[in-house]
Amino acid sequence: MSNETLWYLSRATGLASITLLTLVVILGLLTSGRRRPFGERATIVMGLHRWVSLGMVAFLTTHIVTAIVETYVSIDWISLVIPFTSAYSPLWVGLGTLAFDVLVAVMVTSYWRHRMTERAWTAVHWLGYLMWPMAIAHGVALGTADQPLLRGTTLLCGAAGALALAWRLTTSYADRDRRRDILAGGWS
Amino acid sequence: MSSDQRRPSRRRAPVSAGAPRIGVDRVACSGHGICAQTLADVVGLDEWGYPIVADRPVEAKDADLAVKLCPARALYLRP
Amino acid sequence: MTLIDDLRSAGLTGRGGAAFSTAVKVAAAYDNGAALIVNACDGELGAAKDAFVVAAHLGELVEGARLVTRGSGRIRYAAHRGSDTETRLIAAGLDVLDVPSRYVSSEETAVISLATKGLARPMTKRAPFVGGGRDSRGRRIPPTVVLNAETVWRIAQIAAYGPDWFRAQGTPAEPGPRLVTIGGAVPRPGVLETAAGMPLTTLLAAAGGMPSGAGYLWVGGLGGVLMPAADVPRLRWSSADLAAYGGSVGPGVIDVLDPRECPVEYVDRMLTYAAGESAGQCGPCMFGLPAIAADWHDLAAVRPGNRATVESRLTQRLALVPGRGACRFPDGVARFAASAHRQLSDHLAAHAEGHCPTSPTHAGPTHAGPTYPGPTYAGPTYSNSPVTPVAESTSRSSRVV
Ligand code: SF4
Ligand code: SF4
Repeated sequence: MSNETLWYLSRATGLASITLLTLVVILGLLTSGRRRPFGERATIVMGLHRWVSLGMVAFLTTHIVTAIVETYVSIDWISLVIPFTSAYSPLWVGLGTLAFDVLVAVMVTSYWRHRMTERAWTAVHWLGYLMWPMAIAHGVALGTADQPLLRGTTLLCGAAGALALAWRLTTSYADRDRRRDILAGGWS
Repeated sequence: MSSDQRRPSRRRAPVSAGAPRIGVDRVACSGHGICAQTLADVVGLDEWGYPIVADRPVEAKDADLAVKLCPARALYLRP
Repeated sequence: MTLIDDLRSAGLTGRGGAAFSTAVKVAAAYDNGAALIVNACDGELGAAKDAFVVAAHLGELVEGARLVTRGSGRIRYAAHRGSDTETRLIAAGLDVLDVPSRYVSSEETAVISLATKGLARPMTKRAPFVGGGRDSRGRRIPPTVVLNAETVWRIAQIAAYGPDWFRAQGTPAEPGPRLVTIGGAVPRPGVLETAAGMPLTTLLAAAGGMPSGAGYLWVGGLGGVLMPAADVPRLRWSSADLAAYGGSVGPGVIDVLDPRECPVEYVDRMLTYAAGESAGQCGPCMFGLPAIAADWHDLAAVRPGNRATVESRLTQRLALVPGRGACRFPDGVARFAASAHRQLSDHLAAHAEGHCPTSPTHAGPTHAGPTYPGPTYAGPTYSNSPVTPVAESTSRSSRVV
């Protein structure tokens, strides 16, 4: 494969990854922010959350491998796992690495969820809230300015995710409210 | 009662021997209602959206999927 | 004979209400080296028997606890915060678990949760905690067994006098001496030493008898049932006889409702209280109990009107709640509400026609909020008067103390 093809492939799969990741995050926010017997939708949302996250891996792997293999910019294999080691744009590539590391942790713990305590799983899953903005920042910074499609789509993803997050923070549902109210009654 | 209440369907698919039953950790369950979709044969929802589980065995692979898809990890298998 | 064998042949069951085999529990505690919590909370509304055991038989209680842990392993005594029982236990230098004064906080798994630095709320029991386990969030719970104070006292007695002495009292189905707390509208409320099979009339007579015009007995507190006072003469204190009303000997509480008070309104207050005592962990309980209380409140209004919708909604909800919480609290409240619904149907029908049989001028209940603490009585918290034929048990046990 020519270097140029690799470069384009890397960009394209990066774009696909960030879009899918944002979708996964939004679906996760929808799931945690809504409790009511809207079974059909809730089930689809939950199923997509899991399966899109798996699908994203294919794109993300391609994105990372091609970014390292192509030689326009120099990124070493070490940057696959250790952040801020890249010769090219260490900060922004490093954010991508960090996001990738967290993503691996989130996915591995979800795969093994039934073997760990709920507290441990929740703690790791919460890191997702850190990982997603890092991925967005990585995408915006490296999505070169002469490619409005790259940066535009990433910004759009950022906006959509932020909207979902705002909804999640402000939404209320009976289960959580009732639990919180009764908990405040004093139980120790 | 209110129309959003759903009972487990009466349809009883035959299940293999040794198939598990479904248990719900009520403290963990936050009423997402997904189990009523994934296990429509044995799970319905009450008027507040919490599962009503029939004491019947379910196919192990259906049960596994339901356990995986419960966002609160409230479902578990009992023998 | 080992203690387990003795307990098994004595047929001792938990005196806290669940009536589970004590031999099985203690054997499991042995196997797992479980820590012991002696539950002296008197958690059921109107109960005072644990207070009696601590006040009158503390020596045997401590001995019973030692037997269950075989001299090693931590023993704690759970008592409600600020209760006389707690004060007595602390004064005796015992390791006291300070339980908040909430109804479900004295439930077995709630006490374990509190003892392991959690909140005093019940935990899902996927397997008995006597073997250790985890709560729903994954917090590790070491092997712990909870036994009611009266149960532990009986263990010491069985060890001292043998299973035959124990079996000589009570009925074959419910052997052994047991305590009963009688309260409400009786002249001498208190704790009685008796056994299953005792005529109810005899028990009530020991508390001074029922007032004239008494309409209902409330047996078993918030998890219990209502029964007509008129049936008392033909009933014995046994789960077999109480089964006709959906009840059981349970935690041993009898409350005589005051004939001057409207029973529908009384139940209304109790259900409102119960709705406020859900621990807020299980959906069907935290939403179901307030819904049931609200339905009853609607039915209780003294106002002509058609109640058919509310009636059927209440019936459906009562059937939906049991078995769908981490603990048995919703089951108990639903049992109580269903029993009240059955027993008070005529009274409710009168309310629906616009008058109250208890007081013709009565306008029906007004919501006082969930603050009502349940039945109380001004009399002594316990009396030492055994109800025949178990006089022997107290005279013999008093030698040990
Ligand atoms: S899917 Fe899980 S959280 Fe949702 S109702 Fe069923 S058991 Fe509860
Ligand atoms: S059933 Fe009710 S009282 Fe019991 S643990 Fe659940 S919410 Fe708490």
